[in-house]
Amino acid sequence: MIIISDVVKSYGNAGNKNQVLRGISLRIADGDFVVILGASGSGKSTLLNVISGLEPPDKGSVVYGTSDITKLSDEKLTQFRKDNIGFIFQQYYLLPNMTVEKNVRMGADLIGNREYRKMINAVGLADKAGKYPSELSGGEQQRVSVARALAKKPKALFLDEPIGALDEQTGRQVLDYICGLHKEAGFTMVMVTHNQNIAEMANTVVKMNSGKVSEVYTNKTRKNAYEIGW
Amino acid sequence: MVVGMKDAAKLVSISMIAGCAVFVCTLFLNYNMDIASMKDEVTTEVGMAMYQAQVLTGKVTALVSGGCLAVTSVIMLLFYVKNYIDTHGRELGILKALGYSGLKIAKHFWVFGLSVFAGCVLGYTLAFLYMPSFYKLQNTDHLFPEIEARFHPLLAFLLIGAPAMAFSVLAIIYACLRLKCPVLDLLKEKYVYKIKVSKRATKDIPFLKNLAGSTVRERKTLAFFTAFSAFCFSAMTQMSMSMKDLSSETMAVMMITIGLLLAFITLFLSLSSVVKGNTKTIAMMRIFGYKYSDCFKAVLGGYRPFSYMGFVIGTVYQYTLLKIAVEVVFADVDNIPEYHFDLKMCAVTVVLFVLTYEMVMYGYAQRIKRLPIKSVMLE
Ligand SMILES: Nc1ncnc2c1ncn2[C@@H]1O[C@H](COP(=O)(O)OP(=O)(O)O)[C@@H](O)[C@H]1O
Ligand SMILES: [Mg+2]
Repeated sequence: MIIISDVVKSYGNAGNKNQVLRGISLRIADGDFVVILGASGSGKSTLLNVISGLEPPDKGSVVYGTSDITKLSDEKLTQFRKDNIGFIFQQYYLLPNMTVEKNVRMGADLIGNREYRKMINAVGLADKAGKYPSELSGGEQQRVSVARALAKKPKALFLDEPIGALDEQTGRQVLDYICGLHKEAGFTMVMVTHNQNIAEMANTVVKMNSGKVSEVYTNKTRKNAYEIGW
Repeated sequence: MVVGMKDAAKLVSISMIAGCAVFVCTLFLNYNMDIASMKDEVTTEVGMAMYQAQVLTGKVTALVSGGCLAVTSVIMLLFYVKNYIDTHGRELGILKALGYSGLKIAKHFWVFGLSVFAGCVLGYTLAFLYMPSFYKLQNTDHLFPEIEARFHPLLAFLLIGAPAMAFSVLAIIYACLRLKCPVLDLLKEKYVYKIKVSKRATKDIPFLKNLAGSTVRERKTLAFFTAFSAFCFSAMTQMSMSMKDLSSETMAVMMITIGLLLAFITLFLSLSSVVKGNTKTIAMMRIFGYKYSDCFKAVLGGYRPFSYMGFVIGTVYQYTLLKIAVEVVFADVDNIPEYHFDLKMCAVTVVLFVLTYEMVMYGYAQRIKRLPIKSVMLE
């Protein structure tokens, strides 16, 4: 369980303060698939970064089990991310000078996972393992970043607009891979998107509006990547 | 809008190196030209021997240090041009896509020659300011009549105008060559890898080790600079310490100043470029939960062997050079102490080097620590 209480975060200095998160409280159950939905600029990415320990909040706490990660030293926080967290970004952020296999090993080596090839196969890139990111399509690059994040066997996976840069067909395919792996491995998954339709795939939907949670609901029926509208 | 004065101003390192080269060359060559005019007035045998030794020393010094520094600045210039094109691929690609020819864009790179010009002017001026004391120093035994430092227009042109022009032209030609690629490659900032590298990539090497290797391989010039930096440190420091015994103290001070300046400039240049060029990799590793020390080892650690190698080569080089110099240059002059390899001095230099080098590396480790994790997300 991840318990987020009264998280406040601002950017800028005293004179020109921009309060991006205005007191957010949330509970995320283990193994849940949560979608954070909101317009561009509503603070979704900032919330995701705070929950995942990339950025400290100004106020409030983020508790995993029994430990509050906002109280951890930088060193401990690094260790925490290593043991628990996986990331997928809209822009992939693969290392351009490394092959697919080496990129996936960036995640795998961290925990001594020798079965990184399995991960590459799981995202359907077995025949592209020796290619460089610049030789891959956008969808393929994002699948590499999925494999890279999951190769370190995270307990929670955070995705920031993972298909924001992809076309419909590729986007559906990538989502399908992600959901398949989620079912198989059972990690907690928190996905940020501004796309209403993607929310229909989630179990829990958190709606955000200018730095606040405006609504939280659970879907009665869930659709798969090929059933949602676009 | 392509390259401007601001970009040229960033090339201070080239200015400084060019300045050093011109400083040394001006001193010795100007002296040689002035002294040549009173050759006939030297009557004693000792005077003649001294005259010949000085002319030869001047030539060798100007050639060795001038040439060495010139080569360094050429490599640096090419590095800066390539770096500029690599980091501004998108803007340049858009210009090309709009229909500007490669040459039309490359022409703007002439401003890089200005950095050389500035350095040369500075070096030349400083040399002239220092010249009166230098001339006195060269004639402490009063073997020659007093001579005044004179201005030689040809030398001024060869040491200021010519290098500046040559560097401008070189920058344009090299930029033109680098821009001679499909527009899309510029826009995508595409990494072109040879099959040979791919073969290595299929081997089973751990990620961190592989990253250290590919960071170095990707920026070979920087590996050269780190090696060169250590080379300068080792060669110039040891040489100047030996020079103190073999010839004048002033020359020794000059040499060690140039050597250390060169060593630090190239070291800072290369390490800064490495950290800058790998900011995103470091941020991404931090996000995944890699420790600072791992990031540091993977990004900068690969350069350490090159540094130590440069140091060894520098030691061998200075020993060989001095051995030859003592035998050839001072062959006819009496009372020159025999030159032996000085183990104690070498040990001192090693200790100094390791201390300095590791301190600089520590500084860069701190710099990596201060990189914000979010720098990966700032496009
Ligand atoms: N590093 C930053 N410095 C200053 N302002 C920021 C920074 N990051 C985000 N913001 C501001 O915070 C607000 C919310 O950003 P973000 O969380 O990225 O929204 P979303 O992901 O929902 O589009 C925006 O107004 C943005 O300008
Ligand atoms: Mg966002």
